[in-house]
Amino acid sequence: MGRQSVGIIAPQMASQATSRIRNFSIIAHIDHGKSTLADRLLELTGTVSARDLTEQMLDTMDLERERGITIKAQAVRMSYQAQDGLTYEFNLIDTPGHVDFAYEVSRALAACEGALLVVDASQGIEAQTLANVYKALELGLEIVPVVNKIDLPQADPELVREEIARVIGIPAERSILASARTGEGVDRILEAVVTALPPPVGDAEAPLRALIFDCKYDAYRGVVVYVRVMDGRLRSGTQIRMMASQGTFAVDEVGIFRPSMVAVDELTAGEVGYLIASIRNVRDSKVGDTITEVSRPAREALPGYRQVSPMVWAGLFPVEGDDYQGLKEALDRLQLNDAALTFEAETSVALGFGFRCGFLGLLHMEIVQERLEREFQLNLITTAPSVAYRVTLRNGTDLEIDNPDQLPEVGLIETIEEPRVKLEIVVPREHLGGIMELCQERRGEFVQLEYQPPGERALLTYDLPLGEIIHDFYDQLKSRSRGYASMDYQLTGYRPEQLVKLDVLVAGSRVDALSIIVHRQQASVQGRKLVQRLRQVIPRQLFEVAIQAAVGGKVIARETVPALRKDVLAKCYGGDITRKRKLLEKQREGKQRMKRVGSVEIPQEAFMAVLSLDR
Amino acid sequence: MTAEADLAQPLSLYLHVPFCAVHCPYCDFAIHIGAEDLHRPYIEAVIRELRLLAAGGAERHPLDTVYLGGGTPSLLDRQLLEDLLSAVREAFAIAPDGEITIEANPTDLTDEQARGWLALGINRVSLGVQSLDDRSLRWLGRNHDRSQALAAIEVLQGAGLENLSCDLIYAIPEQSTEVFAAGIRALASYSPAHVSCYELTVEAGTPLAWSVAQGRAKAPRERDFLEQHRLARGVLEGAGLLQYEVSNYARPGRESRHNLGYWQGRHYLAAGCGAHGFVSPGMAGGWGIETTPSAVGVRYWNLRNASTYIKQVGALGHGRRGQEEIDEAQREAERLACGLRLRDGVELSQPQQLATAEDLVRLGLLTLSGSRAIATTSGIEVLDRVTLELLGPVPVPYPVSSLPGSN
Repeated sequence: MGRQSVGIIAPQMASQATSRIRNFSIIAHIDHGKSTLADRLLELTGTVSARDLTEQMLDTMDLERERGITIKAQAVRMSYQAQDGLTYEFNLIDTPGHVDFAYEVSRALAACEGALLVVDASQGIEAQTLANVYKALELGLEIVPVVNKIDLPQADPELVREEIARVIGIPAERSILASARTGEGVDRILEAVVTALPPPVGDAEAPLRALIFDCKYDAYRGVVVYVRVMDGRLRSGTQIRMMASQGTFAVDEVGIFRPSMVAVDELTAGEVGYLIASIRNVRDSKVGDTITEVSRPAREALPGYRQVSPMVWAGLFPVEGDDYQGLKEALDRLQLNDAALTFEAETSVALGFGFRCGFLGLLHMEIVQERLEREFQLNLITTAPSVAYRVTLRNGTDLEIDNPDQLPEVGLIETIEEPRVKLEIVVPREHLGGIMELCQERRGEFVQLEYQPPGERALLTYDLPLGEIIHDFYDQLKSRSRGYASMDYQLTGYRPEQLVKLDVLVAGSRVDALSIIVHRQQASVQGRKLVQRLRQVIPRQLFEVAIQAAVGGKVIARETVPALRKDVLAKCYGGDITRKRKLLEKQREGKQRMKRVGSVEIPQEAFMAVLSLDR
Repeated sequence: MTAEADLAQPLSLYLHVPFCAVHCPYCDFAIHIGAEDLHRPYIEAVIRELRLLAAGGAERHPLDTVYLGGGTPSLLDRQLLEDLLSAVREAFAIAPDGEITIEANPTDLTDEQARGWLALGINRVSLGVQSLDDRSLRWLGRNHDRSQALAAIEVLQGAGLENLSCDLIYAIPEQSTEVFAAGIRALASYSPAHVSCYELTVEAGTPLAWSVAQGRAKAPRERDFLEQHRLARGVLEGAGLLQYEVSNYARPGRESRHNLGYWQGRHYLAAGCGAHGFVSPGMAGGWGIETTPSAVGVRYWNLRNASTYIKQVGALGHGRRGQEEIDEAQREAERLACGLRLRDGVELSQPQQLATAEDLVRLGLLTLSGSRAIATTSGIEVLDRVTLELLGPVPVPYPVSSLPGSN
């Protein structure tokens, strides 16, 4: 077959091919059964045999499986023989489920034409799920609701169907009742993917436009870019350009996920797969960026690209100064695969050399911290997370301060602005009071309250400082609603506030890593609670230790850790000196996890004490 | 180091006798209640183990001290005791001025028994008085009362025993400081040569720990610990018994040589179930225990259960359950931890330790004379922390290159 004839028949074949492609993702709240459903789909389409199926197939990191969350997006191609006798190509894109990764979710959704909305038959729709559904609807996705876990005794599928109808406007009868665990209804889900979700549209002959919806770093092959081809074709040898970050690369390989990577000749409009192009850094492959061809560039990039920037900052310090280099190398390694993580060197008088790290949110921070400790065996101290404040000085200089310790002197400051968010909470009616109280305590301003379905659950909207959310808000939300409330938030802007820096002095010296920024009106209450909390977590030393909170050099609260009075006197008999030594070794290791600030040993948890202040 | 060279330093022997009449709920030693039928086979097993220990290179070596601990060694009848001590003398030798101690319970201690021990060469008795308050003794689950305890002291002293040590427990929740004070004064009036006065420790896994966890027994109180410890020191030192270790008091020259051996890092052999020994790598090698070149000592421990112990000795000749090599850093940590408990204190060698010691001197917890650190009376009360301070951080096991920004 000549080259020319390929060009002539290709468009027809492509459109025929795309008519049998379905690209979709699954929207679900944590624990509503997304991963189990994905496992079942893989099994029923024969993509992975039941024998090879490890539970939660698509959550590849240990952390993901343990916590039941998805951190990285995954894609998998399945072949499905439908009742119409035709074989369809399904691309399931599994998305991260947490509010920290909202942007990544939106890009993964943008790579799809449809989504399965999985809702627990006993729980109903949660706030975060709703936020993602709205996102999907905005992007024009078709939604197939699945009421999952109908095998549970407390399931009320009809009520959940009605709720979906009322909230999202999809007729109740279109919600599929299923149990991913038992497999019931999963066949109907597969059919609905074929019949209810549209095939992709795209022009295989138009200039290349491929959406990057994730990427991962592979030690041997460099960056593996997850793409959805919107227009044109992508094959090895193609010279590509990233339209936002402007990098150009030669494609070495394209392929699909089955679920392991399998190379193919080309990916054409409508298809989902990966490309490898000797990209060394995940920063050169930004989620949401559009890939085009150097020789025949698209005129316009795909919509929706956004530069991802951290929302929350914290200092990470090795407990042992010797680990500094190790921490740097570990952060470098993590950053290879995590474009949202930022870090720069930071020096603290109290904690020594470390790094100021930027995260998408608290979960992201916890994940990074946990991976550093687990995968790199580092012993770390994390300081209390902070948001970035915009500070305007009297002399007109603008600063962005993400480390409370760096807030300039009060006298120099004209204004301090803090970031605010629109916070949406879904909460059962009986817990509404407690949750509203929580929002008020956190300086929230009420925006609106709706009931959905009427009288059942409240959708509560507040305008609230971001800084208030990152300090123990989520745990409080859960505990005040007995676990039933869920939340989602979006940054809305900055607003000037009366903010001050609260310093902590331990045994007379200021501990820079313990400084926090608080609202002036809350300073004395917060200061009192902080020193009380520190008194509980700082162990008794060989001498009395004063803990003080101060604003602008003025002490506003004080507590004292009395000196240790007794530690030993136990007898040391028999020849079992080993036991005595081991006891000492254990205590020595315990001390190891403390940081010596001046003459006082401060345990790790003290630096996070501000997070657990009961307000 | 060869086995011969080891023998230049004094060697001790600990023999464990696990039999007791009752189980004291606070005790976590290896013991068996009753089990009279086990006495003979058990002692035979210990004798067999002794011979194997001696064959490792300590044969005919004069022992500086022998300690019969328990359990309740005083439960053994005279014949068994005699067989055991003869075996010790046969396998090793006992130095002419050797200290031979037996632990005894006051229950039914007779003059005949006491004189029998002296005749066997036993020259030190450690008597488990524990308290001179009947209520406290019942709370402790002891099977003797105050009058029996005092009678036992009189019997031992009447038989001509000079080196009598009495154990006393303080911070018993049932016992007020006043009652404790009366007890220790009464004890001091008998002028024992030595008193071991230690706090009630709720050891994990004991019936007492269980009762405390269940809320059925009160836990000892911190206030009592300090009050009664200070009181005991005042009364005993006033009576001429000096505190030479955290929980031990003696007339000068009557310190327990055997226990000092433990605290000063000397070598000791051990036989019997649950016993611990500490020997040179050379001697351990004589028993077939291989060590790496970094070993400076070997600590070993025996099976805790008497029946299992007897079986294993039958099969292998020894009751060893496990052992560990002690390297220089561990020996140093032990030297410091044990040495600080002693009145004579401990030599500090490293500059960092001396610097830390100076801080502790400023806090009134240590005195330093030259490079010798001695805990003060307040230092003794927080000695574990003082020790941790002096030990410093756990040494990094491998060299790490790293200055911030060196990359």
